[in-house]
Amino acid sequence: MIDTAIVIGIIRILFVCIIITAAYIISTRNLLSVVSVYALQSLTLVAIAISLFSLEGSIVLLEIALVTFFSKVIIIPYFIATIQEKIRIKRDIEFHYLNPTSSLLLSMVLMLVIYMALSKIVPETPAHNSLFLFGAVLGISLMLMGMMVTFSRKRAITKVLGFLSMENGVLLFGMFVTELPFIIEFLIIIDLIILVILTAVLSVGIDSTLEDYHKRLHQFHLLKDSEEN
Amino acid sequence: MILISFVLVSVVSLVLIAVTRNHRHMNTVCIMQALIFAALAVYLALTQHVPVFSFLVGSQYFFIDHFGLFEVLIATVIFTCAATYARGYVEGLLESGELEKGSLKLFYAAWTLLLLLIVFAFFSDNFALFWIFAELTTVISAMLIAILAARENIDAAFKYIFIASISMLFAFVGFIFLFEISRVSLGTGTLNWTVLMQYADRFPTGMLIASFVLVFIGFAAKSGIFPFHTWLPEAHAKAPSAVSAILSGVLLNVGIYGIIRMYAIVHQTIAFTTLAPMITVFGLLTVGISAISMLPQKNLKKLVAFSSVENMGIMLVGLAISTPVALFWVLFQIVAHSLTKASMFFSAGILHRQYRNRFSSDAPDDIRDIFRLQPFAAWIIILSGLAIIGMPPFPLFFSEFFIMLQLGAASLWVLGIMLLLLFIASVGLGYFVLTTFTQMSEPDTGSDIEPYLTPASMKVPIIFLIGLLLIIGIFLPSHGMEYLNQIVMELKF
Repeated sequence: MIDTAIVIGIIRILFVCIIITAAYIISTRNLLSVVSVYALQSLTLVAIAISLFSLEGSIVLLEIALVTFFSKVIIIPYFIATIQEKIRIKRDIEFHYLNPTSSLLLSMVLMLVIYMALSKIVPETPAHNSLFLFGAVLGISLMLMGMMVTFSRKRAITKVLGFLSMENGVLLFGMFVTELPFIIEFLIIIDLIILVILTAVLSVGIDSTLEDYHKRLHQFHLLKDSEEN
Repeated sequence: MILISFVLVSVVSLVLIAVTRNHRHMNTVCIMQALIFAALAVYLALTQHVPVFSFLVGSQYFFIDHFGLFEVLIATVIFTCAATYARGYVEGLLESGELEKGSLKLFYAAWTLLLLLIVFAFFSDNFALFWIFAELTTVISAMLIAILAARENIDAAFKYIFIASISMLFAFVGFIFLFEISRVSLGTGTLNWTVLMQYADRFPTGMLIASFVLVFIGFAAKSGIFPFHTWLPEAHAKAPSAVSAILSGVLLNVGIYGIIRMYAIVHQTIAFTTLAPMITVFGLLTVGISAISMLPQKNLKKLVAFSSVENMGIMLVGLAISTPVALFWVLFQIVAHSLTKASMFFSAGILHRQYRNRFSSDAPDDIRDIFRLQPFAAWIIILSGLAIIGMPPFPLFFSEFFIMLQLGAASLWVLGIMLLLLFIASVGLGYFVLTTFTQMSEPDTGSDIEPYLTPASMKVPIIFLIGLLLIIGIFLPSHGMEYLNQIVMELKF
């Protein structure tokens, strides 16, 4: 087996990767790369799950890694990339309330606050190990950073990506705080897929003009031409 | 077996909707589905010993207890009425081109699925299952809002999805906390409500408070509680009226139901003494914000939507009092609010058909000559308006009166603020009715408007609902009261 210290070291490096991807999603104006960075973030999550598995040996983590890989590294990014091609928007330069710099500063503050808050609550649980505390803090931070993306972006498709990144945070938090049964993790992914499909289809409508919308719905075979009753 | 029969009925309905191309057939299928669901729920309530144990029910995933069944009964009644109403209403939408024929199948399929998901949500014993069903109801109902494919509808649907889903993720984190709490206290982690209820007194209060607050954020957004209510007026105002009735009468209950279930667990520990003031504050703010927003409101559907927000606030304050009597009347308020609000949205829909050209969902209503053109809808709005502000003999009078009595026993100051806010809300509603319903067009110009002939299918559900409200309000059926008592006992208040 691999040495525990090395695994812990790897997980710490992966934590840094997660922070970098989250910061990138918050600050970039290039829409196309957001999707690939999201896929990368999910892949990092898969790697964390596998490393945790080698540490704890719980089979659930392996299952989570597998499902995450297929759903969030392959299917969802592929689907969103297809939609992006349809709406032909490459850049998202409009921001509400927060511009990228202030969101980055805010997320740093948030991380500190969450760290202080969680380190007060968590000692009541067995997860007092510093690695697990960091995982939990990072999970919540990722979630709040995703939320900032959803609130500060105007394009629906970027909002969806913010939401997805939030959900990655929840998954991370769940992995480090407790051992959730696999079925729960699976349910949340089903929800995610349905939500992504619906919002993506709708964002075709919102991110383009209304006249185009109907044409495009026809392209997606969502509206069938049926003239008779 | 009972759960399977719910699924089977829905699958058959979906297949029938997929096969047919006729609007009336699809609609009939939906009415039948809701009726069969209602019959099943009534059968369960009357003949079976609740909590029911049968295949899958009573396992760790599903259960049927008094509270769940109560919510299902309300949901099926509202759905039956709304489906009947949709027969005439959707026909109108098709004629005016607001709804495309091609979207019809999607509309009714989503409708059928929504009812099934709601029933399953109320029958889930496991919080994670309840969470996923609640989340799916958000997605499906957002689809029903966006079905009109107008840009403002898609906007409203988006706002709804994002605010509700993001908050629901917080609720999920809350459930992770709860799972960890139970794992530490009981040895094995569980999200099973009955088990959690049984051992709730062992849970550490600090973690439980954190868990409750997170879960509260999620379900507060689902039920339109301040500060997460911002999606509600737009979504409810822009949805087709048949859908608005469901959103307001059934889907808001899903959120409140989640909060009550979670609060029942917290109530077993001393954590509730910390949380009750917090809930009271949120409840008061909700009532306050909605009351103030109602005053200048010129759009009928938005006004009715804000009144839903207000009622959710009242329920929250009632829950925070945490006495059995208060909880009893909160449950009573849930029924009364659902029935009243459905009838209000139905009549608002009739006005929407009448004045649709000048009646964009954003613009102020240009209602003129209402008593000449739509006397029926006008009188129903006045009647149900009286019902919603809590006038006797309508049932909301009793629930609000007794909740206020309980509140007065807890704190006179809060009672004073609450009464003032309720008064402002009533003034808002009354002012709207007085100003818009008395507008007359000039004698020589007004004659070009043809009265919209309301189909009987749109009138019957409204009359039924008002009749039901009067029966409940005047007779206060003792069986129903006994039933509500059992819910209070089950929730261990």
